Amino acid sequence: MGLLDAFDPREASPTTDGILTNRGRFGILALIAALAVLGPIAASVRPFWLYLLVQILAFALLALSLDFVFGYAGLLSFGHAAMFGAGGYAVALLVTHVTPNALVVLPAAVLTGVVVAAFIGWFSVRARGIYFAMLTLAFAQIFYVAAFADLPASILGVETITGGDNGLVGLAALEAFGVVDLSSRLNYYFLTLALVALSLLAIVRIANSPFGRVLQGVRENEDRMAFIGYDVERYKVIGFAISGGFAGLAGGLYVPFQSLAQPQLLHWTLSGELVVMLLLGGLGTLWGPMLGAGVVILLEEQLSGFAAWEVILGAVFVVVVVFAPQGLAGVLVSLRDDPKDALGNVRDALANYREKVLK
Amino acid sequence: MLAEFSSVLRATMLGVQLGMTLALVAAGLTLIFGMLDVINFAHGSLYMIGGYLGVTVASQFGSFWLALLIAPLAVGVVGAAIEVFGLRALYGRNPLYHILLTFGIAIMVQGLVVEIWGGQSLRIEAPEMLSGTVSVGPVQYPVYWLFVLAISTVLIAAVWLMIDRSDLGILMRASAHDTEMVDALGIDVSKVFTGVFVFGAILAGIAGVLLGASRSVSPGMGFGVIIEAFVIVVIGGLGSFKGAVYGALLVGLVTAYGALIAPSVTDIFLFAMMAVVLMVRPNGLFGATEAA
Repeated sequence: MGLLDAFDPREASPTTDGILTNRGRFGILALIAALAVLGPIAASVRPFWLYLLVQILAFALLALSLDFVFGYAGLLSFGHAAMFGAGGYAVALLVTHVTPNALVVLPAAVLTGVVVAAFIGWFSVRARGIYFAMLTLAFAQIFYVAAFADLPASILGVETITGGDNGLVGLAALEAFGVVDLSSRLNYYFLTLALVALSLLAIVRIANSPFGRVLQGVRENEDRMAFIGYDVERYKVIGFAISGGFAGLAGGLYVPFQSLAQPQLLHWTLSGELVVMLLLGGLGTLWGPMLGAGVVILLEEQLSGFAAWEVILGAVFVVVVVFAPQGLAGVLVSLRDDPKDALGNVRDALANYREKVLK
Repeated sequence: MLAEFSSVLRATMLGVQLGMTLALVAAGLTLIFGMLDVINFAHGSLYMIGGYLGVTVASQFGSFWLALLIAPLAVGVVGAAIEVFGLRALYGRNPLYHILLTFGIAIMVQGLVVEIWGGQSLRIEAPEMLSGTVSVGPVQYPVYWLFVLAISTVLIAAVWLMIDRSDLGILMRASAHDTEMVDALGIDVSKVFTGVFVFGAILAGIAGVLLGASRSVSPGMGFGVIIEAFVIVVIGGLGSFKGAVYGALLVGLVTAYGALIAPSVTDIFLFAMMAVVLMVRPNGLFGATEAA
């Protein structure tokens, strides 16, 4: 058991429910309002910012979905790219072959995410800790190779389905019964913002429902929950499937805006980057991972002009993990609680580091 | 029919060779996990640094052998730096944070490698005496590959003996089993940890040089091999050295046979195998027994 206990995320989730305090609610509402105002400004000043904002929102939703299973249920998924990519491909295929109606394709993305997650979850939940993580990674990589080599087309004997390593390019813009024009980037941004906000609301509700409490119980002590009489594996599969639905929606929102669905969406490095976003932001806080997603995407975007941008990005991860163990969320919370002691905290962290390294 | 037999034989030899070399990477990964509780995402980067330093030393001094000696030692130094300045600050915290740290290091190394050596793929020049082929039954097999097989097998056997029989091996296993007890007996456990990490890094560096002359050396190789190594280590059971060796052989053979049957989807066989193993034995083949 030693190895598996080591992967207990309990100690890593210090500020759970912070989002439910009045201050947390107010903060989230203020942020959504600010983003709603920012959209039109970005659209008129520099349309590229809008592109970045949609990307950030989609990844924030993806990070949120992972934090729900990881932070709340303790299931470290290293294959969340599978649901993200599956949702994206579902939208791309529907737009190409059936309809670009958002009211059809986005629910389909959610459904695809749920189905894929239920499939992966059903096979994986028996394994625990890092083994669970590796199983989810294995299944996600199978999806990646299948899309990359266009396996569905070879099996069905048609020319192409996933478009192989090029992916599906030049997708038509979404619309909604011809009423709302979603080829307008600003409209698409508002749609994304609204769906991400609703998803956050839904996940907070689920996480704090009796069902969510059971998931937290599973995280705290799986054996005891089973002993009390809960069907632990069923709860885990359902929790994973719910998370997959949100991940699928994130993919479904990301792909039409990029007008491109490519195998890279399914690759393990995306899942890895996602775990980095969670840890960077602050695991188990729901808002921290969303913040982490925004920071990582902004950093990648801002740094990609530099020659050695990967070096800087990696260094940021290293510095945060060494000096800010609770992630950016932890830093923000301690700044809010005790803004005067910020300098003292930095000194403590450095002294602590020196002591550990030089021992 | 003979042609088929020879291609199967060739694939088997190739698979065993690949497996034994990957075992060098996986052995370090599994030892580091077993003893330090660290999921080392930077392990593939150490392998990659080995390959690139091998390229530089081999082309500067024109000697493959010098590369095989110097590059792994330099990788060991890099490993020591990572352990002392990075991981040490995190011991006692949730091992999840090691993922973030080593992932960050892996990204840094990838960026640095592109900065220093450029994005194109390079190759280490294999020595003259190991060029050409020999016939093994009906198969013409490159001498260099046989050499790689031999040296990897010898190294793995030596490591196995060391862990199993030597005092140092006992100390390593004891530190993994009960760090506090070993500490209380007056042994500096943090030195043992650094030693294990450096040792794993050197093994990865050797594999980088060896495969740098048969596969190629490119900026993607670090992230490529780390997944192969994780598959191996998970199949074998995390922390188990024996598991890593058997897992590596399995992965090598599946990769080689997969390339015969369906080259474009070889990875699917690999991941499907891992999924099946974990579903039947949730702690890997040798997980709970040796690792705990």
